[in-house]
Amino acid sequence: MFVCKNNLSPLQRRSIQIFGANLGLTAVLSLAIRDLVKDMHPAAFLAYFAAILPTIPVIGIVAVVSRYLARETDDFIRMLVVQSLLWGLGITFVVDTYLGGLFAHPQIFRAIPILNIDLFCISVGAAIRIQLWRNR
Amino acid sequence: MKNRLRVLRAERDWSQADLADRLEVSRQSVNAIETGRFDPSLPLAFKLARLFRTPIEQIFTDED
Repeated sequence: MFVCKNNLSPLQRRSIQIFGANLGLTAVLSLAIRDLVKDMHPAAFLAYFAAILPTIPVIGIVAVVSRYLARETDDFIRMLVVQSLLWGLGITFVVDTYLGGLFAHPQIFRAIPILNIDLFCISVGAAIRIQLWRNR
Repeated sequence: MKNRLRVLRAERDWSQADLADRLEVSRQSVNAIETGRFDPSLPLAFKLARLFRTPIEQIFTDED
């Protein structure tokens, strides 16, 4: 299914497109808002408002995944996707906990901002690939 | 749960992809059911029974 673009159903193709668009928007908005707040020091109420903006595409991601799971007619593929989502959640928790402890150290430079949502999506994508490879 | 899917498919000279197309599922689903890694839902089991014109009990058997 997800291994080759030609094997994707219209539902899967559409879901991946919307998912990717929301993911990109989340990353762009998160980094932009972070820099904006850091450099421009806006008033507190503006910072609260600005921080909400990157959450909107995250809600979009949740919605598109929910819609996909509700409409996927292939039980086996749906099971693989749900398992992959759980793997993604687990990997995100583990890496986030590790990085949280690591970056608390003042001498460790936080070179690349890693967004949990990106980490989650990459983990889910990798888990789906591995699951499909195991069940090829 | 054991099943005779591979035998029934071979009798008709269908590939896994052929059966998957007829069932409107992925080839991976057919493979997972054949190898016993995944038990199909009731609607899919009925679809298989209709497709092979065989009662469900003759396709799937309880291992106990």
